[in-house]
Amino acid sequence: MAHSYLVLEDGTVFEGESFGFRAPAFGEVVFSTGMCGYQESLTDPSFRGQILVMTYPLIGNYGTDSPFCQSDMVHARALVVREACAEPSPAYGGRTISDFLIEHKVPGISGVDTRALVIKIRTMGTMRGAITEDADSIEDLIKRIRGTPAPSEGNLVGEVSRREVEELSFGRGVRVGLLDCGAKSGILRDLSSRFDVTVFPYDAPADAIAESGVRGLLISNGPGDPSHPAVTSTAARTVEYLSDRLPLFGICFGNQVTALALGGSTYKLKFGHRGCNQPVKHEGRVLITSQNHGFAVDEASLEGTGLVADQFNVNDGTVEGMRHESLPIFTCQYHPEASPGPWDSSFLFDRFAKAVREARL
Amino acid sequence: MKKEYKKLMVIGSGPITIGQAAEFDFSGTQSCRSLREEGYSTVLVNSNPATIQTDPETADRVYIEPLKASAVAKIIEREGVDGILSGMGGQTALNICSELAESGELERLGVDLMGTQPEAIAMSEDRELFKETMERIGEPVPLSRSVHTIQEAIEAVKAIGRYPVLVRPAYTLGGTGGGIAYDEQELVDICARGLAYSRIHQVLIEESVLGWKEFEYEVMRDSKDNCIIVCNMENLDPMGIHTGESIVCAPILTLSDRDHQRLRTSAIKVIRALGIEGGCNVQFAFNPDDGEYRLIEVNPRVSRSSALASKATGYPIARVATKIAVGHTLDEIPNKITGSTYAAFEPAIDYVVVKIPRWPFDKFRTVDRHLGTQMKSTGETMSIGRTFEEALLKGLRSLEIGVRGLDRVDASDAEIEEELAHATDRRIFHIAEAVRRGWPMEKIASATRWDPFFLSKIRNIVRMEEAVAKGPLDRGLMLSAKRMGFSDESIAHLTGRPEAEVRAERKGMGISPVYKMVDTCAAEFAAETPYFYSTYGSSTEARPGDGREKVLIIGGGPIRIGQGIEFDYCCVHGVMAVQEEGGAAVIINNNPETVSTDYDISDRLYFDPITIEDVLNVIESEGVDGVIVQYGGQTSVNLAVDLGRALEGSKARILGTPPDKMDVAEDRRRFSKLMDDLGVLQPESGTGYSFEEAREIAESIGYPVLVRPSYVLGGRAMEIVYSTDELRTYVDTAVKVSKNHPILVDKYLTEAIEIDVDAVCDGEDVYIGGIMEHIEYAGCHSGDATMVLPPFTLSEEIVDGVVSITEKVALALEIKGLMNLQLAVKDGRIYMIEANPRASRTVPFISKATGVPLAKIGTKVMLGKRLRDFGLSGYSPVRHYAIKASVFPFLKLPGVDSILTPEMKSTGEVMGMDEDFDVAYFKAFTAAGNSVPTEGGVYITVNDGDKERVLPVARELRAMGFDIYATKGTSTYLRERGVETATVFKIDDNMKPNAIGLMREGKINFIINTPSEKSGPVRDGHKMRRLAVELEIPFLTTVQGADALVGAIAVARDREIGVRPATDFHG
Repeated sequence: MAHSYLVLEDGTVFEGESFGFRAPAFGEVVFSTGMCGYQESLTDPSFRGQILVMTYPLIGNYGTDSPFCQSDMVHARALVVREACAEPSPAYGGRTISDFLIEHKVPGISGVDTRALVIKIRTMGTMRGAITEDADSIEDLIKRIRGTPAPSEGNLVGEVSRREVEELSFGRGVRVGLLDCGAKSGILRDLSSRFDVTVFPYDAPADAIAESGVRGLLISNGPGDPSHPAVTSTAARTVEYLSDRLPLFGICFGNQVTALALGGSTYKLKFGHRGCNQPVKHEGRVLITSQNHGFAVDEASLEGTGLVADQFNVNDGTVEGMRHESLPIFTCQYHPEASPGPWDSSFLFDRFAKAVREARL
Repeated sequence: MKKEYKKLMVIGSGPITIGQAAEFDFSGTQSCRSLREEGYSTVLVNSNPATIQTDPETADRVYIEPLKASAVAKIIEREGVDGILSGMGGQTALNICSELAESGELERLGVDLMGTQPEAIAMSEDRELFKETMERIGEPVPLSRSVHTIQEAIEAVKAIGRYPVLVRPAYTLGGTGGGIAYDEQELVDICARGLAYSRIHQVLIEESVLGWKEFEYEVMRDSKDNCIIVCNMENLDPMGIHTGESIVCAPILTLSDRDHQRLRTSAIKVIRALGIEGGCNVQFAFNPDDGEYRLIEVNPRVSRSSALASKATGYPIARVATKIAVGHTLDEIPNKITGSTYAAFEPAIDYVVVKIPRWPFDKFRTVDRHLGTQMKSTGETMSIGRTFEEALLKGLRSLEIGVRGLDRVDASDAEIEEELAHATDRRIFHIAEAVRRGWPMEKIASATRWDPFFLSKIRNIVRMEEAVAKGPLDRGLMLSAKRMGFSDESIAHLTGRPEAEVRAERKGMGISPVYKMVDTCAAEFAAETPYFYSTYGSSTEARPGDGREKVLIIGGGPIRIGQGIEFDYCCVHGVMAVQEEGGAAVIINNNPETVSTDYDISDRLYFDPITIEDVLNVIESEGVDGVIVQYGGQTSVNLAVDLGRALEGSKARILGTPPDKMDVAEDRRRFSKLMDDLGVLQPESGTGYSFEEAREIAESIGYPVLVRPSYVLGGRAMEIVYSTDELRTYVDTAVKVSKNHPILVDKYLTEAIEIDVDAVCDGEDVYIGGIMEHIEYAGCHSGDATMVLPPFTLSEEIVDGVVSITEKVALALEIKGLMNLQLAVKDGRIYMIEANPRASRTVPFISKATGVPLAKIGTKVMLGKRLRDFGLSGYSPVRHYAIKASVFPFLKLPGVDSILTPEMKSTGEVMGMDEDFDVAYFKAFTAAGNSVPTEGGVYITVNDGDKERVLPVARELRAMGFDIYATKGTSTYLRERGVETATVFKIDDNMKPNAIGLMREGKINFIINTPSEKSGPVRDGHKMRRLAVELEIPFLTTVQGADALVGAIAVARDREIGVRPATDFHG
């Protein structure tokens, strides 16, 4: 196996071995504490531009299988693990994580002391990093990392959103819209069991959506900074326009866009929330939620927007959801569609369905 | 929101038995601490003196009383208890609470049952109710039917449609009495047994999910319906092998997120449907072929699995369950590990945990070693690694069964095949052997029903063995081997070199372990909790200390026969004493059930194997100043000499008694010489390096002789032999005699009184903590004997002699710390049997009896304090009686004879205390799970030597109105001396009436049977003893025991038995 190196912007180098596709990579190094669901995470568009570190040391144990994919490609730029399983359980077909990454042309590095790496990120905050097999170029690479802006400074949503409107029918009778900022297929799955769905590109004109006949709009998850001009000038404007016209449901990035649309602001978390165990206080109860975000809504900024933060993270108190004082708008920062993660909050889709039903009356 | 209570009671689980081990000391102790933190006044009741929870520091009031509903009700009344936590003492406590609730006692006494309610308990324990509930919420359970008779059982199988079926008795622990029936005859047999064991005479006949995967979820729920999963676990062994008998890993490794979430969601639905408030364990069977699952079982309380889950994640389940019981919700309870988050989250772990059961088959050579739905293991080890292989190999070398890892087995292909298909405790070694022989993975997988994922890990280990053996062992290979969990000893073995050389070479390569923290959150948050495990990685998290003197206390490893919870008690007291003296206490241990491995007991906890390598690594990493080897039983004592040598020239030293002197006590030859020098008598003895030598010794000192291999704990393979033939059999079957493994031959002192002494010595003064007289004659292992503190038949002269010998020996052995002596008295003379330069299993018993914390004092002495600093010296007997009785696993282990021998058989102990001997004995006897018969019939069959002694016993029983039955010899003897006795046939005569028939008819309520002076199972007696065990008829194999029971019978007939807190007895 070839030696490989994970190099961080602060000059730290972790040594390991290559697996998956053999190529260099550059991205923001983030970690997820989910103990399984690695394939869902790799294919989650929200990981666009990021080098994903799994804190669980054994990855690939149960292999990979197409139903687990959250999109048709791997969005993470690389995968960092302590150990990549070479001989997985045959229970789901037995295809290795390495083969999966090769197919999607994404490199992996194994043998890394991922816990040491996570402690570094936790202490220093999210960092830029790169993967290389070329030991001699490391000095140079550090300089290049420092000189390259983080992918989240670019328009990542533009890379993952559908380009065309898609009308999908499931015989449900009621149609809602999905504003695709990088939607996981889990969201579409949960919508499709309740509605017919029209998927709109993130930058679809607001009036087109309003006139399309959809009875509600779900603003999806997505990668990068929600306050990027490419987003504030499109999706956020759309949400603002539709806020008094349709019931709205924002998930993750969609939550942040909703806050921005109505006059609130967002900020970057030190190292984000990524995992399947985040506790959220919701209407007096604790939900264990699946999360994957590096930005959050600033609660103080919501003053006067009509939005009220009504859900909070039990661990750090950050905003986990909002509702509007008078309009049928609600959001969550976590993932009710799970995939991966607990199903505790899947009832939010029913809430959305109820809001849509009531709005029609 | 916290509720108002005046006084809360925690009920413990009683003695250690198979299926209920130290985990309930851990949970009960944590629960009491949690209640006290909330400001509640607490009462604790438990019959087991070897627990931390029965320390006066744990609860405001501690009762060491039999765990019977009647005794608990009396304590409730006396203390004015208004709330009880039912879920901390295993099935024992749950049953008591159910009984008190059903009888209306709780209502009468105005007591709340806190946390899980009786209805919830019934819904999870009563199979039929459970099934109904699951069907109502749409969760699948195996097809099944509850039955109360054998006929109903046969019909139930017809309805299910096929064999095999599982038979599960309701309301039992550890699967007692259950089994798998492959045909109708087996069904009839198992049901007969199961119906007898069930508290409500009900068994469940159930569709077989044999061979499916088995998964467990530990769920918590609070009063606001918040639910979380603390941990999930995967059994490597499939359904059909009890989870307590299975190798288990955490978290689940072979389920996809989707399937994991299906089971998680189901587990939460279940805990909601049952209305459990607190913790519960949900077990699933999962069919990997089609993804179907079935709910198998729910335990509505903390359990062995929850103890494992707590240690595996750092999430304190018992503590949180307690807070929930008093009304808090998960989001109000701080997570003590991080200090900054709350209990309302799901731990994320970033390592692999492996649990391996520890079985007692090394002691019980006649027991069927096959694993099934009934638990046979006594304990377990837990290990943590960053790879599965690392965790597995660490776990194997923690077992204390003399293996380095996946050691080779000498077996034919056919034997391996048989072992793979029908698991025993040795299966994993056979799997490795099959891999070495190149058997296809599919073949091994289909025979074992292990997921090939795990088999490939074993193959990785085997390949690494080959690579290391082949060499060259360069840095890369060394690092790979260490990362895979290979010990220096394994590498040394594979490369044919001494371990010390491998260690030196490894360190020369710059390869040393790092220590990672167990923090509940996969490093997402900074954690302060000092809970570590070793691994090989790039950076360590164990930061240097704060300048306090650091003392490492070496733990006792898994619970096994001969090494129980007593040693954990001592370790915890060692920790407390070090802290009281201003030092920092470091623990190394690998037993997940115990208090010592609770993360907030010591200043630093290392969850690692206890081998010379792992211990030295911790010493070096921590910069330990002193090491205590006296408290971990034989596990730590065995390390003393090597450790002493390895530490020469470093700053760390072994505290207390010098290792060389410990060796004197352990080495028969050196010890004999010392006794001769001191003028202390010993039974004549010799050491034989071959059968011929042993025979010569035996003949010269005269039979009977006691034979055993050198260096043992718990009397392994110790036997009394009466003839050369028996000696031959012993040498052929029990031990291998060789130049390196001699056997010891001692004169067996017949009818001698045996004494145990525990003392503390500081090098100058000796304090005798207690002298205990055994009720049974010498020859019954001291771990099994019923012991009385203080002596009840010995003359003052003998006691003085015992004191004088103890002082002499302690000073001669330069004991600093604790010492235990076993002595025998015969014809007015005192003989030395053995000296143990360490804490013995009676240390907690004495401390509970006298109120003097021996283990703490021993520690402080090791740290340099003098006995006179505590005002302790010499011997002063207590004025009451404390009696220790033992608890045996005969019910769980068919094939073990219930005769008491020099080989230890008991798993646990209980204690009874009173000023009156008979009352104390009554309490001990009942606490051990026996009922004291007050009327009915007694069956007496004793050997000739015992006839004279049994006469007064029989006379007294007859006077109390008991019917006496006896076989011809005994009955003639008794009748001739005026005791009315009915004669019955011997069992082998196959004529009625005989004992077996009378027992089944319920006419015999207790049995006095002393075995004939020939060793080996006497068939007649064996059959009867087995039946007595199964029918739970009190059974005494010594006349001394029978005599004591007669006193207890008188107590039970005539007196109201009160309850008293333990501290009442302390001066």
